[in-house]
Amino acid sequence: MADAVLLAWNAWHYDWLRGYDAFANARYAEIVSTDYRLPSDAESGVWHSPPLWFALAGALGRVTTAIGWGHAQRPGQLLAAAAGLTVCALAFLLARALWPERRVLHLVALILVAASPALVRASAMYHPETLAVALATAGVLVAVRALSTRWTVASAVACGALLGLACLTRAWALPVLVVVAVAAALDAGRRRHWLPVAALAAVALALLAPWLVNQQVAHGSALAFNRRPPAGSLLERRPTSFYLGLHTLRSAEHPITPLARNELVPHLYADWWGDWALTWDSPPPPAPAELLPSAVVSERARQMLVGIVPSVLALAGLLALAILATTRRWAALAILPLSGLAVVTAYVLFAVRYPSTDGDTIKGTYLLMILPAAGVGAAFVVDVLRPRRGLWVPVTGVALAVFVAAQLPFLIL
Amino acid sequence: MTRGRVDGLVGASRVDERRAARLGLSAAAVVVLVQLGVGAAWSLRNDDPTELDLTRQCLERDKGLTIEATTEDSVAASASGGTLRTVVEGGLVTVSVAGSHAEVERLRAAYATHDDPGRRLDVHGRYVFFWLREPRRGQRQVTYDCAY
Repeated sequence: MADAVLLAWNAWHYDWLRGYDAFANARYAEIVSTDYRLPSDAESGVWHSPPLWFALAGALGRVTTAIGWGHAQRPGQLLAAAAGLTVCALAFLLARALWPERRVLHLVALILVAASPALVRASAMYHPETLAVALATAGVLVAVRALSTRWTVASAVACGALLGLACLTRAWALPVLVVVAVAAALDAGRRRHWLPVAALAAVALALLAPWLVNQQVAHGSALAFNRRPPAGSLLERRPTSFYLGLHTLRSAEHPITPLARNELVPHLYADWWGDWALTWDSPPPPAPAELLPSAVVSERARQMLVGIVPSVLALAGLLALAILATTRRWAALAILPLSGLAVVTAYVLFAVRYPSTDGDTIKGTYLLMILPAAGVGAAFVVDVLRPRRGLWVPVTGVALAVFVAAQLPFLIL
Repeated sequence: MTRGRVDGLVGASRVDERRAARLGLSAAAVVVLVQLGVGAAWSLRNDDPTELDLTRQCLERDKGLTIEATTEDSVAASASGGTLRTVVEGGLVTVSVAGSHAEVERLRAAYATHDDPGRRLDVHGRYVFFWLREPRRGQRQVTYDCAY
């Protein structure tokens, strides 16, 4: 409930034009909902994005404009907020589907996901990312439940539809679809029951294929992006600093553009936990970092500290889930770390393939797709390693409360 | 199945989980420490670059521009943060870095001593850009991108 209020409040108060690709997103939504066609590359800089969210946001915007409510982008922001809230609920359900009896684990997963700044920020923007994450996580939840019991045609169709729609919203859902399809195929092979996995693949492909074919025909690649990759070897496209993150320490005290620009880990970390590109609540337009009000800098520097423990727990959690899934041969659990690994691999390849001088291909929101799995993983580590007796339950509760309270000044607009 | 057997299975599964969590935590700690170690090693072996150094690097590496020393500009030469000169999309610009707002105002006033430079004089934070001709928006943006 509190998260619903937070996300709705932020969506209502956030200046939609400050969000990523805001104007290009608005043009796309306008074209797809009024002309019923995809925008050309000259009409919108995000023509490479799949159309589902734009169609929904555009249609909602037309309705609210027609009834005199005014603001054509606000419904899209509220849609992103609703999707963000759904992601939180799905993380909770995912934890419960895997460990039904562990209420602390469910609660920790919910809180870690809900208080993730990248999710909160994306939920306020006029942007498709949260809807894609919600649809993909719902698909993963269906798959986890089916792998824990038995795939039926109905569950396979639901899973294929959710993941297909997620891919029709953002391409980052594609690695998740591949992992789920492989897991379902392995399960089908073990049970010698192929109909459900065939239904899953057929539904997902039926939804996704027209988009991929269109991109291939119109732009020469099913996974076309809004710029051509530079010529030359993939290994030569990024300097060593991109991989090593030389300004990691400096960016911890000053996590703002342009410091650590195009250094993968510190740039991503600063943007996930804070607001590296200054698109959140800093005074517009962004001034050079040295001249920002000191409160803006110190607030983001505090976020860097707050993020350390949950980040370590998330990484540890994904690794722990992978180890546990391997030792127990637990296919339902394996989907989480494997989809996380697949999304991260796809993202790093993308960031290397498309270097940009201003660092716009490095954003925390690009990795939102792994948030539910990372949240469940972190919650697993907390739940397993906390002592079972004495004051540790209230201590865990207090630690979570401090984690949330320390971030509230940043998270609430 | 007896109660003792069930307890035994639960106990074994807890051990599995604790082992997985500890291994995960250890691996994550190693990754984080390595990343911090790389950052610390770099910071110890390199002096933090000045704003002008960072701007020079940015203009050269990110924007592909050629940097020259500033000559025959006594105002820019007096900037405490240093100065450089480059050509952005055909427009010659002298970049000066001031140490304070007061110095920015001093540089601005010095440039305007003889005549009003209008939009050729562009102040962005502690940076003072003096263009030979009035810059286009895209030209200004290039310099803003490299202002630290």
